[in-house]
Amino acid sequence: MRLVRVVLAGEGGQGVQSAAEIMAEAAYEEGKQTIYIPNFGLEQRGGVSIAFLQVGDRRIGAPKFNKADVVAALSQRAMARTRIYSGPDTIFMYDSSFEVTEEDLPTQYNMILDIPAVEKSKELNTRVFNVIIMGAVLELTAMIPVEATRNALEKKLGYKFEKNPELREMNYRAMEVGRALVRNRLKGGEMVCASTT
Amino acid sequence: MDKPVTGTKKVFMTGNETVAWAALAAGADIMFGYPITPQNEIMHYWTRLGTKYGRDFLQTEDEISAGFTVCGAIIAGKKAFTATAGPGNTLMQEPFSMAEAMRLPTVAIIQQRGGPSSGTVIYSQQEVTLTTYGGNGEGHRIVYSTATHQEIYDYTIKAFNNAWKYRFPTFVLGDGYQAKMREPLEIYDPEARNIEMVIPSPLVGLPGRIGIEREPQHLCNIYSLEDELYEVVLQLQAEYDRMAPELEEYQCRECDDAEILVVSHGVVSRSADDAVRFLRAQGIKAGAFRPITLRPFPGRALREILQTGVKKMLIVESAYGQLARLLQQEIYGENVPVETLLMPGVGIIDADIISKVKSLIH
Repeated sequence: MRLVRVVLAGEGGQGVQSAAEIMAEAAYEEGKQTIYIPNFGLEQRGGVSIAFLQVGDRRIGAPKFNKADVVAALSQRAMARTRIYSGPDTIFMYDSSFEVTEEDLPTQYNMILDIPAVEKSKELNTRVFNVIIMGAVLELTAMIPVEATRNALEKKLGYKFEKNPELREMNYRAMEVGRALVRNRLKGGEMVCASTT
Repeated sequence: MDKPVTGTKKVFMTGNETVAWAALAAGADIMFGYPITPQNEIMHYWTRLGTKYGRDFLQTEDEISAGFTVCGAIIAGKKAFTATAGPGNTLMQEPFSMAEAMRLPTVAIIQQRGGPSSGTVIYSQQEVTLTTYGGNGEGHRIVYSTATHQEIYDYTIKAFNNAWKYRFPTFVLGDGYQAKMREPLEIYDPEARNIEMVIPSPLVGLPGRIGIEREPQHLCNIYSLEDELYEVVLQLQAEYDRMAPELEEYQCRECDDAEILVVSHGVVSRSADDAVRFLRAQGIKAGAFRPITLRPFPGRALREILQTGVKKMLIVESAYGQLARLLQQEIYGENVPVETLLMPGVGIIDADIISKVKSLIH
């Protein structure tokens, strides 16, 4: 596979770093080369939290990068903060519920994609919002098999699943929901899609 | 007590966690430290892991104290270490200077952050000058600049061994990116790989009556006469020079017929490697040279490479010329023009290096 680069960004507590860590763990267990690095600054809480994830077959160079294959913004503030990571080949994804202005959107992109993940998470459980996003990213990149991601989820959250097996089902479902949201959106033809500007 | 690491194990972890495992595997007895980002998790993991294997930890009141307690523990015969960054590294220069004066095998992990002053908590390569030549001495230190988690593991173990073997303060120079990122590596029991592990022993309180059965042990950092100090420093320098060829390490990629040589160290060398691979694919004769030891600097090796037809050298670093200065003093007199790509406190990716190289050849 070629190198896949992902930026996940959201508010503290939305689970951006957990989602990136789970995908990185899954990639590692699959025998892929992978690097995951959080951005970290002075803020203990309250800032936009960004995760940089790379998955490939060859040894990966720099831990950060300028342009991603997929940018997933989990909050409106995160859009403005991460639009710089969008280049001519980037899929820039955000939630349909955000009131988007032009300043929130990147000037360069391959595709701008909005999915109703917030809405769907309310039907499931808002705590698995990040797992829905993870499913969407996996569908867009196909960088890791779903099974490997399930195993990584088990590794990270297994102790919680033991106490409450419903959580496991909920997480699995959330991942499938995320994948389906992207599939439907790509079929639906409603999305904003334009050639590189 | 069980060994913390047996055989070889594949793992996926942060650089900070890697340091803690490496220090355990190297047989470190105690860590002294004071919190500072981005090295905090070294302390966190050490306190969590070390206590399982009978190792100790003390959080001191500041970095000056952390450095001096490391010195004290070493005098008592313990493999002791610390970890710090940025302003903490500045404060530790005083104890590190004493370690130079007394030939104490201190080990310090430095995870560089942005500077000057508190700068950023994130990343830089701006602690090169401080780590190689900080303090009021002559830079009689061993400094390893790592680029991967595997190297963090390998060189942390090596740092303990060479510190105790050569008795010079030894540093593993990482950075915030290496500290915080996760990537795969293998951890292993060094003895199972036939790595000779140096056994520490006390520097004072030795057996035998002083003056009758043995000479007195002087660990001295102050002298009455300037001539005395002069002798001591010359002696230090002579021993440093003698040891240097055994310690110098470097890495080359496509250096043999390179016309443009990219020189970088640490995490930036990963981008330089990628850049060279890309440029070669386009028929551009680029090569990459990377000093692994910044002290002693592998200047002899670099001079040899420069004489094989290198037309230009490009020094790339996340600092404003700290590597460039270190390097240029080592290759004084060589006739190869030097260009620089200096990006203090920010990451450098392959594309940055590729476009700079292209701008130089067109």
